[in-house]
Amino acid sequence: MNYIFKRLGFYLIAFVAAVTINFFIPRLMPGDPVQMYMAKLYQTSGKIDAETIAAVEKLFGFSKTKPIIESYFEYVGSIFQGNWGFSFSQYPLTVIQALTRGLSWTVFLMGTSLIISFLINNLLGIVAAWRRGSKLDSFLTVGGQLMANIPAVVLALLISYTFARSEKFGIFPAGYAVTPLFRPANVLQYIGDVAYHAFLPVTCIVMLQLNGIMGMRANMINQLGEDFIAMGRAKGVPEYKLMISYGARNALLPVATTLAMQIGFMLGGSLIIEVVFNYPGLGKVMIGALDSRDYPLMQGILLMSTILMLSANFIADMMLLILDPRLRKQGR
Amino acid sequence: MSALLEVKNLSVDYITLNGAVRAVDDVSFSIEEEQSMGLAGESGCGKSTIAYSLMRLHRPPALIADGSIKLGGRDIIKMGEEELRQFRWDQISMVFQSAMNCLNPVVKLEKQFFEIYKNHGITKNRQEARARAEKLIEIVGIPKERLNDYPHQFSGGMRQRAVIAMALALKPKLLIMDEPTTALDTVVQREILQRVYELKKELKFSILFITHDLSLMMEFCDNVSIMYAGKIVEQAPAQTILKNPQHPYSYGLKNSFPSLHGDIGYMEGIPGSPLNMSRIPRGCRFQDRCFRAQDICFKEVPPRQQRGNDFYDCHNPMGTLTGSRN
Ligand SMILES: Nc1ncnc2c1ncn2[C@@H]1O[C@H](COP(=O)(O)OP(=O)(O)OP(=O)(O)O)[C@@H](O)[C@H]1O
Ligand code: SF4
Ligand SMILES: [Mg+2]
Repeated sequence: MNYIFKRLGFYLIAFVAAVTINFFIPRLMPGDPVQMYMAKLYQTSGKIDAETIAAVEKLFGFSKTKPIIESYFEYVGSIFQGNWGFSFSQYPLTVIQALTRGLSWTVFLMGTSLIISFLINNLLGIVAAWRRGSKLDSFLTVGGQLMANIPAVVLALLISYTFARSEKFGIFPAGYAVTPLFRPANVLQYIGDVAYHAFLPVTCIVMLQLNGIMGMRANMINQLGEDFIAMGRAKGVPEYKLMISYGARNALLPVATTLAMQIGFMLGGSLIIEVVFNYPGLGKVMIGALDSRDYPLMQGILLMSTILMLSANFIADMMLLILDPRLRKQGR
Repeated sequence: MSALLEVKNLSVDYITLNGAVRAVDDVSFSIEEEQSMGLAGESGCGKSTIAYSLMRLHRPPALIADGSIKLGGRDIIKMGEEELRQFRWDQISMVFQSAMNCLNPVVKLEKQFFEIYKNHGITKNRQEARARAEKLIEIVGIPKERLNDYPHQFSGGMRQRAVIAMALALKPKLLIMDEPTTALDTVVQREILQRVYELKKELKFSILFITHDLSLMMEFCDNVSIMYAGKIVEQAPAQTILKNPQHPYSYGLKNSFPSLHGDIGYMEGIPGSPLNMSRIPRGCRFQDRCFRAQDICFKEVPPRQQRGNDFYDCHNPMGTLTGSRN
C-alpha cells in the first residue's frame, strides 16, 4: 500500500509540474494570444466591445490586469474542474471537446499496438533467450536491431506507399479511422472497418517497437543464469515450466518498468504515424492546432499527453505490483 | 559398507572464446553409504563444477567431456532427459552454494515445496503437500506458518534452512551441500550443520560437503578429498588430513586455517595464487607454489600413491602414508 501511495504522490507532483509549465509557456511566447484572437474576431465580425474582450480574457484565462500568481491558481483550479478553456480555431468547441475525438483514436491506436507489441516482443524475447545461439535467435536479434534503427518516418512512408497508396498492393485505406459516410449495418461490420483502417498504422508502430525483443531476451538470459533456475531444474521442474514460470515470470519484472518509458516513445512516434497515415488522432489535432496557432488547444493536448503518460505509468506500476511480491508487503 | 556414488575419470570443460578450459580433469572418487565426504580446495578449483556434474545440471558453456558417474549402479551420464528429471532430487539433492538466491523470488515457499512433490508424482494434492512441507520445515526450525511467505521475507539463514528442508523432501540417498553456510555467522553455521547431521543419522543418507573451511569439514566429515586446479590431489580420513597430510597442498590448506580446538596456533597461507586453468604446466600442477618441489615435479605428472580408498598424487610427500580404516 505504501508503494501505491508513494507512486500516486509522485504522479500528482508530476502532473502539477506539467500544468505549471503549460501555464507559463504561452505567456512566455511572443505575441499575445488574446490580441491575436481579437484580431481574428475583428476580421470576421468587424466590431469588438469591452464586454467581448473581458469575456474572451475570461475564456482563455488570460488577463493583463490580474497578478500572474492569481491567474495561475485560477488556471490550476479550472484544469482540475475539467474546464480547459475554448479552442481558438474551432471556437464554440471547448478544448476538451476539440481533442476528445482525436484522443480516443490515439488511445485506441496506442493501446492496440502496445498490447500486440508487448505480446510479440516478450514471446520472441523468451524464445530467443531459451534457444540462445540458435539460428532463430540470431535472426530475431539481428531483425530486432535492424528495426530499432529505422527512423519512424521512413518505415511509415514505406508501408503507407506500398500497402495503401500503390496501385498494385494498395489494398489498405490511405487515411481515416473509419470509411467516411460508411453506415455499418452492425457492430461487427463497424469493428471490421476500424480494424481495416488501423491495420497499417498498428503494424508500423509494432514494427518500430520490435527492438523490445532484445530487452526481453537480455532479461531472460540474465534470469536463466540465476541459481533458482538451476535449483528448479534440480528439483525436477519440467523445462517448459522453467522457461515460463521461473524464467519469463521474473524476466517480465524489468519489462513492466520500462513499459511506461516505451509508452512515452510511442506517444511521440504516434504523431508521425498519424500524419503519414492520415489518422485522425491526437497527433493530427496537434498539427491542426499548430497550424492555426490555437494555443489553448495545444496546451490542452500537452496536458492530455501528460495525463496519458502518467496513467500508463500508473498501469505499469500496478502490473509490477501484481507480478512482484517483493513490492507488495513492504513494511512488514 | 559399499560404494553409493562412484565417479570415474570425470572431466568437465567450459567452452570459452579461447578454447575449452578443463575445470575438472580426470577426477575419480567414491562415496559410501551413510558416509560424509568433504571436498575442499581454493576458490575456482572446480568443486561446484563437480557438484553440478553429479546432478548433471551443467548447461552450455559447461560440458561433461568424459567419465562415468554411477549412483547405486545407475550411470547418470547415460540417462535420458525425463529419466534424469525424475532421478534428480529423488536420489541426489543439493543445497546450492548460493542457497540464498536459489528460491524463486515470486513464488511462495509452500508452492516451492509443492512443486517437488508434484513433479515427482508424490502428490498433486495441495493439502497433503502442505502437511509434508510443514513437517519438514519445522524440523529445520522454521514455524510452519511461514510457508505462506515469499523468499524475500526470510532472513538468509532461514532461506538456507528452507532449502535444506527442501533438499530432504524426497529422502535422497545423497545430499550435496555446496558451501551451504558461507554467508552465515559461525554459530548459525554449526547449528544448521548439526541439525543436518542429526537428520543424516535418522534418514541414513550420504553427504558430499563442499567448503573451503577446513575446520568445519574436519568436524563434520568422515573422509576428505583435497582438490587443486581441477584435480583431487589427496583423499584420506579427516583425521589423517588433519594430523598427517601427505600432499604439500593439503598441508598448506590445513595450515591456512586457525586450529580447531581454540588454540590459535600458527596460521600461514599458501604462497602464490591458484593456477590459471588455461595454462597448465608440464608435471605437477602445484609446482610453482610448492615448498617441496623437486626437479622431477616440473617434468612428470606425479603418480598416484594408493592405499585402500586413500590416495595422494605427489613426488615428494610430507611423510609416511598413514593407514585408513578400511
Ligand atoms: N560459466 C563458466 N565459464 C567459464 N569458466 C567457468 C564457468 N564457471 C566456472 N568456470 C571456471 O571453472 C573453474 C571451477 O569453477 P567452480 O565454480 O567449480 O569453482 P569452485 O571450486 O566451486 O570455487 P568456489 O569455492 O569459489 O565456489 C573456475 O576456474 C572457473 O573460472
Ligand atoms: S609433486 Fe612435487 S610439486 Fe607437486 S606437490 Fe608433490 S612435491 Fe610439490
Ligand atoms: Mg563453488
